[in-house]
Amino acid sequence: MNDLLLRLEGVSRHFGGLKAVDDVSFSLTRGEILGLIGPNGAGKTTCFNLISGVYAPTKGDIVLEGVSTAGFPPYRMAALGVGRTFQVVKPFSTLSVLNNVQVALGLKRYGGVLSSLGPWDTKASRKEALEILEEVGIGHLAASPSGQLPLGNQRRLELARALALKPKLLLLDETFSGLRHEEAALLSKLVLGVRARGISVLLIEHNMKVAMGLSDRLVVLDHGRLLAEGKPEEIRSDPRVVEAYLGKGASAHAS
Amino acid sequence: MQLFFEQLLNGVAMGAIYSLITLGLALVYGVMRILHVAHAAVYTAGAYVGLYVFTMTGSLLLAVPAAMAACALLGTAIERLIYTPLLKYPPFVPLIGSIAVFLALEEIFRLVGGPYILSFPAEFPFPGITVRGVVISPAIISIYAVSAAVLLLLWFVVTKTELGLAMRATSQDREIAGAMGINSSFTISMTFVLGSAVAAVAGILVGIYFNQVYPTMGAVPAYKCLALIVVGGLGSLPGAVLASLLLGVGETLLIGYANIPLPRDSLAFIAMIAVLLWRPQGLLGNR
Amino acid sequence: MNDYSITILTFIAIQAIVACGLNVIVGYAGQISLGHAAFFGIGAYASALLTTKGGLTFWTALPLVILLTGAIGLVLGMPSLRLREDFLAVTTIGINFIVESVFLYVPFFGGALGLGGIPSITLLGTRLRGPNFLYLCLVFLAAVLFISRRFTRSWGGLACFALREEETAASSMGVSPIRFKLLAFVLGTAMAGLGGALYAHLMRFISATDFGFTLSVSMMSMVVLGGIGTLWGPVLGALILGVLPEVFRPLIDYRMLLNAAILLLMIRFQPAGLLGEGSLLRRLFRRPGRDSAHE
Repeated sequence: MNDLLLRLEGVSRHFGGLKAVDDVSFSLTRGEILGLIGPNGAGKTTCFNLISGVYAPTKGDIVLEGVSTAGFPPYRMAALGVGRTFQVVKPFSTLSVLNNVQVALGLKRYGGVLSSLGPWDTKASRKEALEILEEVGIGHLAASPSGQLPLGNQRRLELARALALKPKLLLLDETFSGLRHEEAALLSKLVLGVRARGISVLLIEHNMKVAMGLSDRLVVLDHGRLLAEGKPEEIRSDPRVVEAYLGKGASAHAS
Repeated sequence: MQLFFEQLLNGVAMGAIYSLITLGLALVYGVMRILHVAHAAVYTAGAYVGLYVFTMTGSLLLAVPAAMAACALLGTAIERLIYTPLLKYPPFVPLIGSIAVFLALEEIFRLVGGPYILSFPAEFPFPGITVRGVVISPAIISIYAVSAAVLLLLWFVVTKTELGLAMRATSQDREIAGAMGINSSFTISMTFVLGSAVAAVAGILVGIYFNQVYPTMGAVPAYKCLALIVVGGLGSLPGAVLASLLLGVGETLLIGYANIPLPRDSLAFIAMIAVLLWRPQGLLGNR
Repeated sequence: MNDYSITILTFIAIQAIVACGLNVIVGYAGQISLGHAAFFGIGAYASALLTTKGGLTFWTALPLVILLTGAIGLVLGMPSLRLREDFLAVTTIGINFIVESVFLYVPFFGGALGLGGIPSITLLGTRLRGPNFLYLCLVFLAAVLFISRRFTRSWGGLACFALREEETAASSMGVSPIRFKLLAFVLGTAMAGLGGALYAHLMRFISATDFGFTLSVSMMSMVVLGGIGTLWGPVLGALILGVLPEVFRPLIDYRMLLNAAILLLMIRFQPAGLLGEGSLLRRLFRRPGRDSAHE
């Protein structure tokens, strides 16, 4: 299929003796929203770090648009069209919210030293950054120092920065957590809008309702291994998934 | 060959002294992630206090504990007044603070003790030994005995006591250690007490060995020992000892035999850069 | 102004140039360097050698000196900047000690005797001396400030700010950490090289001990005192640390202690420096409604 965007082929990542991600394979097509779920410590964020280049896989390959990208550093993955947010937010604290987004707008400029010598704080870049901030609903905070925002707004800033990269693949790591209901609804709409533009979204979400509601398909990880994969309604009724989330804990409580 | 063995003995002695200073740095780095440049000023303070008490009383048995107590106090004061309030800033802030403390203390030593070299005329109550023509001076014997005792004691504290456990836990992760009920602020202070007391011993040993105590005697160790904890692997105590011994022997032998056109004091840094290129985590460090 | 004050001011201008270079590395890119005096020395020795043994004039040598210092910065920075922060601090100290001993022990660099007979600078047929040399330094200082400002307004500068704040996030936004740290490092060391060249031709005699680790620490003090990462901070820092010893001449014996105490009090109570964000001075003179997003 030509609209295949990303494929993980038997990807593993070990930390010492710990197999954080163990022989995981799945794929993502263009314009698809794929939810990555699983209990705490299942290896979801490690998966994100592998796809975005923060870690290199110990084994296996990650293929983006037919190019093997295993071992590429994050800045190359960004240039190839992978934009991500961080679960533990990482704002450029002393820079304003607007400047944070402008950093991401420079993606094309960072490819060479000469191209990086042009001015960044132009009318055009300010306008573009402001539009993205308004899209995620924090346009009014553009001038605030990003380090002092409440967590919910910092998550939205994370999203704004990722969108400013104009990615082909958007990785959202618990972007919805800590948001109020109406804020989350606004972002859900935004994500659907992003997908409508042909951008694929891979999201980690703890709130099952949000994950099930947004995703076309779900991939379930448990202890670093792929546990199940399928449409939300299939996953919901999959006994293995129910057990991974509740079963062992519930049975332990019962006994 | 005789000369070689004498050089070797001197080299190991130097290495033992380096390791006494470097261990304090490694301990502090472990619990606080701070490069404690001012540690060398604590060491100099140890030499001065030791010399002062020795001159007053004529007794090393009084001078050593007095210097250890004074240094423990000084070290903890630096930790409480300077480092702890600066922990929230990026690491170069406490580092610059540490350099400033070091320079200020050096000046205070100069103003109080005078800008000249004082001699430390301690006599050892036992003679040297001669083994197959190799002369082992009483100073060398003392350095070996004292450093071995201190190293053993430190090893015991770090591996066998509750304080040591708390120190190792704090090194791993201060927040988790705190969550596990370890009083990290007390642990850190005790680390400074321990490291500084050991530095006092080193100061007195160096003072006696070279018969010199002077304000800037800490200048070279201040930075050389930083290189040593990097070579050993930041925070690794066995690494710090190993790197110190290797450097002590290396400096003495290389300078004694190979006629290198560089001063011995840059050897530590050249070794450090070589080690970092070959093994970025240090000799015994883990990533 | 008498000759003495002019000499003092000339020194301050040169130190301000070098401190601005350090500020690019530490302030803009957040990379600790405690070996900046080494690059100041490399600039001075390069210009001294090119003009004495190489037969060039100050002006023909200058571009080479700046390029050479920057290139050495590149070569030394490449492995160092890959290291963790703490390693980098110690490595730069090491670079300073090693460079100093190379100057001191390698005969080509004059050894313990240093290098003498460095020609003075001539411009339009006249030898620059006294106030004219000061003006020349001020022109170069202005150029360095202009370049610093341009850098903070370039995408590369923004990339450095981002790296300084959050390396992983910056990298995920397309910023290659090593490329932009190196860019700042090379720019900063090249500025130090320029300062070194001016110093060599002002003194006309240089020796290794002029470029020791102590100088690196005072450079860092200037940057910290004035305000890390601000445009004018290094200049203010150089001015204060340069003028202070003159003001406190009667206390000459306490001068070093005073310097150390100022640095200590500053870093303890006002680590952002005199001109830094949220500093006492800024709060006193805050102009309402002024955006200070960069600089």
